[in-house]
Amino acid sequence: MRGRGSRGLAGLALGLFMVLPVLPLVIWSFAHGWRFPSLWPEDVSLDGWAIALSDRAGVLQSFGLTALIAAATTLIALLIGLPAGRALGLYRFRGKGLVALLLVAPAVLPGIAVVFGLHGIFLRLGLTGTIAGVILAHLVPVLPYVTLVLAAVFSRFDPAFEDQARSLGATPLQCLTRVTLPAIWPGLLTAALFAFLVSWSQYLLTLAIGGGRVQTLPLLLFSSASAGRNDVTAAIALLYILPGLLVLIITARQITGRGAALTGGIGS
Amino acid sequence: MLRPVLALLLLTNGTLADTADGEALKAMSWSQIEDQARGGTVTWFMWGGADNINAYVSTYVADRLKAEYDITLTRVPITDAADIVNLILNEGEAGVTDAGSVDLLWINGENFRSMKQADLAFCGYTGILPNDALINWDNPAIANDFGVPVDGCEVPWNTVQFAFAHDSATLTDPPRDMAGLLAWIQANPGRFTYPAPPDFTGSAFVRHVFIYAAGGPEALLGPFDQAKFDEAATKTWAILNEIEPFLWREGLTYPTSIIQLNELFANGEVAMTFNYDPAQFGIAVDAGTYPDTTRSFGLTDGTLGNTNYTLIPFNAPNKSAAMVAENLLLSGEAQLEKAKTEVWGASPAIDVSRTSEDTQAGFVEIVGHPSVVPAAELAKAALPELQADWLTAIEKGWLENVGN
Repeated sequence: MRGRGSRGLAGLALGLFMVLPVLPLVIWSFAHGWRFPSLWPEDVSLDGWAIALSDRAGVLQSFGLTALIAAATTLIALLIGLPAGRALGLYRFRGKGLVALLLVAPAVLPGIAVVFGLHGIFLRLGLTGTIAGVILAHLVPVLPYVTLVLAAVFSRFDPAFEDQARSLGATPLQCLTRVTLPAIWPGLLTAALFAFLVSWSQYLLTLAIGGGRVQTLPLLLFSSASAGRNDVTAAIALLYILPGLLVLIITARQITGRGAALTGGIGS
Repeated sequence: MLRPVLALLLLTNGTLADTADGEALKAMSWSQIEDQARGGTVTWFMWGGADNINAYVSTYVADRLKAEYDITLTRVPITDAADIVNLILNEGEAGVTDAGSVDLLWINGENFRSMKQADLAFCGYTGILPNDALINWDNPAIANDFGVPVDGCEVPWNTVQFAFAHDSATLTDPPRDMAGLLAWIQANPGRFTYPAPPDFTGSAFVRHVFIYAAGGPEALLGPFDQAKFDEAATKTWAILNEIEPFLWREGLTYPTSIIQLNELFANGEVAMTFNYDPAQFGIAVDAGTYPDTTRSFGLTDGTLGNTNYTLIPFNAPNKSAAMVAENLLLSGEAQLEKAKTEVWGASPAIDVSRTSEDTQAGFVEIVGHPSVVPAAELAKAALPELQADWLTAIEKGWLENVGN
């Protein structure tokens, strides 16, 4: 009983910690004239939302585009990161340290240093200003997270389970869907979550490689914030945090749920 | 029989299809250019910070281009044209000479100078635009962009003049000239500040002080002069350092951008803000950002004015469609539409007396926003912009002598 009580308290604290910073955004998005020292806006208005959701603001198209880019980046990153993570987590091989270092490098180097070199390369390849180019560029910061998370998952994975399934007559596909995937499922979700959110929040890379023509939500949000319309900016900001919140709520149960015992401390 | 016709068709198509070839365009007649532009696209990179400007471009301009020429206008919102200058520069270095990402760019000042110096602008075509006749190129403020001759490398779009704003409910009688303003700042500690250069607007405020210290703009026109600069600069830094302790937060820190100053003004922390485009005051009042009692004014010793332009980069893939768009932007009707208070409130870059009677009547009918000082009133005391070399020297000097 006591355990449950303190847990509830911790949950409440965590909830407040996440919700409180969002509250002013909600108020701002409906405010018309909210100036110091007024505690509340002069007037409530739907202008901010009307502008943010209007056709010409392009927020909704941008939302779809950002989701598409983040989803594609996540999928590709998992396809590359899964075998890479398995190799790093399960096997010992010559130069493993170096490979791990190279994989982490993009996450450690300052983004702005990476961006300038990358822009030159992408220009020569004719990839600037394209969605494909932006997805490819997003893989640079996304892959290290995915690979490292999956490497940690696989380091606690016993391949003997696969051997047993195979020796009992499972096909490679059955082995993958019935044994491997269930075992690494929470870790896989964590990696996907990271990948999606890292891609979702890219600003500098998208601006440089997309050349302004690939208008993702962070770009619109920044341009709106620098225009000084707090109501519009707040509305876009609320839309912007929506997927992160959704992904978190949907996957939180999965990550902390039953598979956790198999993978233990992810990323530790 | 068919074959020569087909060959001819292919040949003409071949030459007509290359909308990136600027030299070929210059040899064409306007109707040929219009034909080539039909059904094309224009990618226009422009500052996207004002919803009403975005709306004007995405609805009025885009709809007319679609209806009259079947041209699709894609507006790409940006925060700083300098980024796009770098982008085009990078494209040039990478050998992208006819498939650049930008067809049209909203630009002026230092960015225009960079584009022109690096040969990144498509030049010498403006005379082909029929509405070029509406532009008064004899006006030095139109023919020179911050002192840099335009030379047919860009087309004027709007003219603006610097103005100050105050809340008439808390400050009924603001100072009307620079001497008065400087005295007012010292008498009202903490109620004034300006964004630190190189912020565009903050830099313009410092230039007002610089011109005041130099005893007027006359000595500062023309190319950069070190001796004249040193003389005026010494006085300018003395004035700015003298008022510094009386600024917001005792001048220990300056706002880094005009957005921050606007926010301080909106919240009543400072008594004044200023802008190079006074129409922004009306927009901010309508958005509820500023109080309804906001009013604006110029200084009797004059305020700086400038013209902003649209430019076609050398590697624009759709030059003919971009030219058609520029021509439409210059038309009396399009200039009148954006001059309307409820649309944008932007002053025309064309000579209104050269437009049709209907258009002229339309301009007369415009009722200004109560918070926006009329352009005609500001124009009574106008200062010419200094050349870009002066600007950079003043910005650098401010950082070393005042903002240190």
